[in-house]
Parts: sequence; structure tokens; C-alpha cells
Amino acid sequence: MSPTGLIHTGGALQSYAAWVNSTWLHYFAVNYKWVWATMETLHFLGLGLMVGTIGVLDLRLLGFAKGLPVASVQKLVPWGIGAFVLNTLTGIVFLAGAPYQYLYNFAFQMKVIFMVAAGVNVFIFYTGTWPQARAIAPGQAAPWPARIAGAVSLFLWIGVMYWGRMLTFFRPPFVVPPK
Amino acid sequence: MHFLSSLEHSAFGTWVREAPTIWAYATILFLHTVGLGFVVGVNVAIDLRILGVARQMPLAPMRRLFPWMWAGFIVNALSGIALLIADATTKLANPVFLVKMGFLTLGVVNMAWSKRRLFDDPVALERYPASPHARRVAIVSLILWIGATTAGRLMGYLGPVSGLESLE
Repeated sequence: MSPTGLIHTGGALQSYAAWVNSTWLHYFAVNYKWVWATMETLHFLGLGLMVGTIGVLDLRLLGFAKGLPVASVQKLVPWGIGAFVLNTLTGIVFLAGAPYQYLYNFAFQMKVIFMVAAGVNVFIFYTGTWPQARAIAPGQAAPWPARIAGAVSLFLWIGVMYWGRMLTFFRPPFVVPPK
Repeated sequence: MHFLSSLEHSAFGTWVREAPTIWAYATILFLHTVGLGFVVGVNVAIDLRILGVARQMPLAPMRRLFPWMWAGFIVNALSGIALLIADATTKLANPVFLVKMGFLTLGVVNMAWSKRRLFDDPVALERYPASPHARRVAIVSLILWIGATTAGRLMGYLGPVSGLESLE
């Protein structure tokens, strides 16, 4: 794999990155030290909240804490969606602050792919498996499609954390790291 | 200071910090993140439930989630020790690190003692709204885990900066 990721410099992506660098959000993200630190903090709090909500539902589908009725655990999911929105917004600030660091970064590209895959898993789960899954009573094991959805979700979100953490180690060589 | 410096320059500390492989610093940092997710996330889920979120969800079975919080904590204690050894002189000179340790210690005590004891009385636990004591435990827990996470992040920005250079 090329160290600069799947996408090479030049073309539409480069003009996009150049445009991002001209926006007020870019200015905001790089000119106040507290902005980056605050966004990072919120990003990690959102991460924890997502594990505590989506992750707990996944664990229940996999058969842990079986005393929890699945329909009731689902009530945590809106908080997980809130955390996802928070992390998307804070993530956009990072992207605006250092577009070249992310767009040409193999780890960032993988992170986006994993998030899209997690979205597809959510879609399949709620359109296909949910009518069955929501009826899972206390003590009852989830049917296989629901268990697989839980396992896939855990794998993909842990993968999102993995690629997120790898971002700085896959920083494209032509990007000057922030001070 | 001499001791911290020799720790930092030990074979292990040097390996964590400088080994040109993804399996050293990068992977340890990743494990520290996943551990954070579980220990903070599951604690927060129980706290929110005590405070009335998802109240259709019975609390007693959440006792089975304690091993996940402990697993997250143990992963983070071990990965944290490795990251500390690799950067001992800087981290221990940073007051933010001590603040993090303070939040963390209180958070674990609150989890292992106060919160766990709430689960000893499942009948009282399911009462809604939760008792003032249970609510206090939940609010303190939220403050401590948010505090620990925030301090952990800010170690990279305040005081003598911890971690690898330019790792933002």
C-alpha cells in the first residue's frame, strides 16, 4: 500500500483540499490552540458514549447481560446517534483544519470505509432483523442474524477506533505535522 | 528524576516509544482507546439509566456488564503503564497527568465500591425514580469519567506535552 493512501495527489481532491484551506472553519480550527484540544476531548467523550450505547446493544445481541430485553436496550440508541453526530461534527473540524493530512491518508480512508460499512449494517439490521430482534425477551438468546449484526457492529466500530488512532502514523509524508 | 529517566531509557521504554513498527506505540495507543470506550462507556450507560434514560431497561441485569468495565480498566492500566514508562519524565512532570490519575482512582473506587453495592439490592435498584444515593453515585461517576477522559486528552496540549512529538 502506498504510504499516501489509495488516492493520489492532484485532480479534484486537491482542489477540494485547497478550497477547505480557504474556509473560515479551517481558520477557526488552526488559529486557536484550544479549539483542537476541545474538539479532541469531545471526540473521545463521544467515542465512550457510543461504546456505552451501541456497544451495549451489540453485547446484548451477542448474549451478554441476557437479562436485558432487547427492545429496552434500544432506548439507549438515540444517545448513541447523538454521540455519532457529535463525533461527525468534531471530525469535520479536524478535516477542515488539516485536509491534506486526512484526505490522502490511508488510515482516514479506511476509517470512512468502516463507518460506511457500519451504516450498511445498521440499515440491514433495522430493515431486516429488527422486527424479530425487538421481541427478544429477558433471558432469551438472539437469533443468528441479530447476533451477526451485533458482532459486525462491534468489529466495525472497534475498527473505526483503530483507524482513527492510526491516522497520525499514516500521515502523508508531504504534510507538516501541527505544532 | 534519575529513576524516571532510566525508566524512560530502558529497553522496554525505548521499544514502546521508538520501535519502527505499528505494533509498539501505535497499537498500545489503540488498546488504550478501546479500553477507554469500555470502561467509560459502560459506566456512563449505567449512570444514564440510573438517572432515568431508557428507564424501560431493567438495571439489575446490567450487573453482567461489570466484567466489561473491568476488562476495559485492566487493558488501560497495562497500556497506560507502557505509555507512562515510554514517556516517564514528561508525563510525571505534567500536573494534568496527576489530575487524570486523581479522577481515575476516584472513578474506579466509585465503580468498584459505591456503584457495585447498588446492585446488591435489586429491588431498591429497580425503583423509579432512583434513590437520592443512587443518583448521587451516578452523577459523581459521570463527573469522574468525563474528568478522567478530558484530562487524558489535555495531557497532549497542556503542561509539558506528553506522547510522541507531533502526535495530534
